[in-house]
Amino acid sequence: MITAVLSTAVAFLLFFGKLPLPALIPLCIVLGVLIALLNRHHHDNTLSIDVLAQISRLNKVNPGLKLSALLIAMISCVASQTVFTGLFLLVVVCLLAVCAGGLSLHHYVRVLALPISFLMIGTLALLFAVSSEPLGLLSFNVFGFWLSVTPDTQATAALVVSRAMGAVSCLCLIGLTTPMSEIIGVLRRLHCPEVVIDLMYLIYRYLFILLSVHREMRDAAKSRLGFRNFRNNVRSTGMIYSSLLSRSYHFASRNYDAMESRCYSGGIVFLEHPAPIGAAQVVVAVCLVSACLGLCLSSFLLPTLLPY
Amino acid sequence: MSMKLSLFEKRILAVSVVFAIFLSLPTPALGMHIMEGYLPIEYCVIWGVICIPFMVMGVIRLRKLSQDNPRILILLAMSGAFIFVISSLKIPSVTGSCSHMTGTGLSAVLFGPGITSILGLIVLIFQATLLAHGGLTSLGANAFSMAIAGPIIAWTLYRGFVMLRVNKLLAIGIAAALGDLLTYCVTSFQLALAYPSEVGGIMASALKFLAVFAPTQVPLAIVEGILTVLIIIGMQSFAAKEFKGTSFNFQEARQS
Repeated sequence: MITAVLSTAVAFLLFFGKLPLPALIPLCIVLGVLIALLNRHHHDNTLSIDVLAQISRLNKVNPGLKLSALLIAMISCVASQTVFTGLFLLVVVCLLAVCAGGLSLHHYVRVLALPISFLMIGTLALLFAVSSEPLGLLSFNVFGFWLSVTPDTQATAALVVSRAMGAVSCLCLIGLTTPMSEIIGVLRRLHCPEVVIDLMYLIYRYLFILLSVHREMRDAAKSRLGFRNFRNNVRSTGMIYSSLLSRSYHFASRNYDAMESRCYSGGIVFLEHPAPIGAAQVVVAVCLVSACLGLCLSSFLLPTLLPY
Repeated sequence: MSMKLSLFEKRILAVSVVFAIFLSLPTPALGMHIMEGYLPIEYCVIWGVICIPFMVMGVIRLRKLSQDNPRILILLAMSGAFIFVISSLKIPSVTGSCSHMTGTGLSAVLFGPGITSILGLIVLIFQATLLAHGGLTSLGANAFSMAIAGPIIAWTLYRGFVMLRVNKLLAIGIAAALGDLLTYCVTSFQLALAYPSEVGGIMASALKFLAVFAPTQVPLAIVEGILTVLIIIGMQSFAAKEFKGTSFNFQEARQS
């Protein structure tokens, strides 16, 4: 709901003065309603991206290929001076996730909604310039200052929104199609320090334990009216966190004993079966990367051809 | 095309903007991470490069610690998972919005800033890929504010207070709260550096970003301080034994 309202407001301010008002207002409202409709349910699952990654059809793609292609696309999107790179990635990545990955559009939008609502707040901050006198297209007087939207701030905001949308879609596609163990595997092949890799594997494993223990404790506290008012709320949260931490440490030391009795002496070896690289995958990856790099480069070479 | 608005239209717009900003208050509290794609590429690179020496230091310390005592690695992994969990779960907040701890203050007090920087980095990578919260291109900037600047300040304050013989729990609370607050100030400053305002430059822009986030971040810092103290109190009574390897001494804390 918040995302929808925010996106409507941002879209209105972005295109204010570029489109006539009678066309702009219905367009913004349609956009808001669309986002609100696609983003209806909320489940209480913190790690829903991880679950979706396990069932995605794209997790059969070689993780090294996938990650490098998406990272290059992401970087060229952030570096480019035109809104088109971001818009292109937004569309292409959505198609990849939904058509190739077999993810439902509704899930995809829900995953994107959270970062986008952050983005919208950040964009509001960029859209308004603070000054002592009114300037530009629209100005509001707030406590003696003027908050104004100018064509310059609109251009900056549009560029930032498009870059962030494109990059966030790539990030979400990485998260939605690559299980964490494969990402860590890629980092290991990049010669990330061994200690850090071990730490990452262990942290990933412990996340699930802590989250499930936390869910039990939170429900127990809730059923005893533990979150009734602010005072109680802080108290129960503190109690839950401290017993969560102490319980997790007991667990960790038991875990260590178990590992030691199985000859652990520092250093953990994990088996990996990286998927083979297919020809079709390479073609798609090369197309994606070259399109992004091309858009990015052309935004530097041909600034007049591309607005913003 | 004339874009002059009537007074009524302007009022409607003003109301809608205020409404949108007010509604948006619960969301920035989700954490002070700069999102993916929000920073221009040169700033991503600069902040990333600034982080490298701290990370190298962290890895060296980590390697030494885990060689001396393999058990500590498991403990650290659990702490990393704990930071991830508490920084992705709701905590009570005064404004009725939901907010999250950074958790790095706690880790800085327990393990020191070097190790915290690595734990923070890993947590940030996990948050980016598992929660789409933060980002990979903005990883450097986020790591600097959340995993380096905040913990270093929290650690320094804590050490300073301990030397001044202030009550340990009070010291931990203040250190964690100020560490959280500094994280938020650094993030606002990073945003302002990347997007200085047209009139007034970086400082005006920094003030703007500080003002946008202040209503949620200031109470959040205080709650973080209180919660960190509560966690430490709980730990003292439950799990002092497990903490023998860490730099935090529970025996001392109990006596003071």
